[in-house]
Amino acid sequence: MTLPEYIASRFDMLAFQAVQHASMVAQCLLVAAAVGVGLGILVHRDERATALATGATSVLFTIPSLAMLGLLIAPLGLGVAPSVTAIVLYALLPVLRNTIVGLNGVDPALVEAARGIGMSRSRVLLRVQLPLAWPVILTGLRVAAQLAMGIGAIAAFVSGPGLGDQIFSGLARIGAANALNATLVGTLGIVLMALLFDALFVLIGKLTTSRGIRSHA
Amino acid sequence: MSAVGTPAARTGGGPAAAPLGAGWRTLLTPAGVLLAAVATVAYTQAADLDSTEARSLNLPHIAAKTWEHVGLTAVSTLLVLAIAVPLGVLVSRRWMRWSTPAVLAVANIGQSAPPVGVIVLLAIAVGIGFWPAVVALVLYGMLPALRNTMVGLREVDPALVEAARGIGMSAWRVLVRVELPLAVPVILAGVRTTVVHNVGVAGLAAFINGGGLGELVVSGVNTSRVATLVVGSVLIALLALLVDWIAGVVTAALRPKGL
Repeated sequence: MTLPEYIASRFDMLAFQAVQHASMVAQCLLVAAAVGVGLGILVHRDERATALATGATSVLFTIPSLAMLGLLIAPLGLGVAPSVTAIVLYALLPVLRNTIVGLNGVDPALVEAARGIGMSRSRVLLRVQLPLAWPVILTGLRVAAQLAMGIGAIAAFVSGPGLGDQIFSGLARIGAANALNATLVGTLGIVLMALLFDALFVLIGKLTTSRGIRSHA
Repeated sequence: MSAVGTPAARTGGGPAAAPLGAGWRTLLTPAGVLLAAVATVAYTQAADLDSTEARSLNLPHIAAKTWEHVGLTAVSTLLVLAIAVPLGVLVSRRWMRWSTPAVLAVANIGQSAPPVGVIVLLAIAVGIGFWPAVVALVLYGMLPALRNTMVGLREVDPALVEAARGIGMSAWRVLVRVELPLAVPVILAGVRTTVVHNVGVAGLAAFINGGGLGELVVSGVNTSRVATLVVGSVLIALLALLVDWIAGVVTAALRPKGL
């Protein structure tokens, strides 16, 4: 069976797994974005809190994904829970780090000017700092999306959802007829989705970047 | 601290970014890692294990798997160094500059391929075992080292290269005496990423009978033995932290004095 035939014969299942993969990654990114940006806003003013937060996420980031999944199986069991937790943890580092760098990269003179015209702290954050830091934060999210796609592939090993299932069923049937097709579909499908997500983020960046800084963002 | 996303920054960083000169705190990481490793191994000896667990969690087996893991990581990292750095230098030469965007694009797309997929594809293509796993590790680990070599060389101030040419240095001497030393920090950041990646991807070698600590994780999952699974995971994680620390120390030590 050739690759196109394989895809055609199992199109429904493959489409389902692809959508599952994409939705898992998207949901994890939403959580990571909320937690990462929130945490970044909380800690970016304080040097020690910043060092602690980035240090902790860097250590998490150094732990290989297979080991992380293994450690999460112990308390969470097999399935969706350890996969999603692992992806969120890995996606946190780029989001958090870029939020801190982005917010601290805002010219202090602008913040002072905004305070000077009577804006409250939270308004300065919402109207000045976050819009200016947004391109950097978005880059962090882009990196996080790429990471999440790849870690999502290993999720199938702990009975998680997504296209990784194709890779592992290919592995289980090495030597059999469709082993190569299944693995190729899983691998290439994930590469394709990673590229799509990347393109999506470029588009989001174009649409949501504040007009004043769009030229050099 | 720099933002994640610019090619050099994405691959640099890490907790031990400036390990030298931090005094006794430099030794905190390896001491903690070793302590945790000893505690983990001591647990396997003291705990009441059933026969399935005992088959994986005896001292000689753990030592053998750890050694295999280190072997997989070391061999693949050396091969990456031998291939990626010369290749990066080659495609950065002036007469090859046209290929830079294409090579970077391929490297970026390749990076988004899930490592487990790459490993299984290689197993199907060349068979299972240690060497196919090494090939997968090399292919996957090439990308950060190659990209950082190219980026590092590209960021060398062209005025410095011209000045070196102007005082009569040959192209080869400019490369060895000016360009490479200036690019070393970025190149080493890439190598550090590669070697830490490789510790993780080497864990996946167990799927294709490549050995390593991943075997404990895989057999733990397959036989539903949480103890085996957790010990394997903890040891892989500790190895990654230790390797990251070593790479950080080496990076700081090899940084050229003038920078």
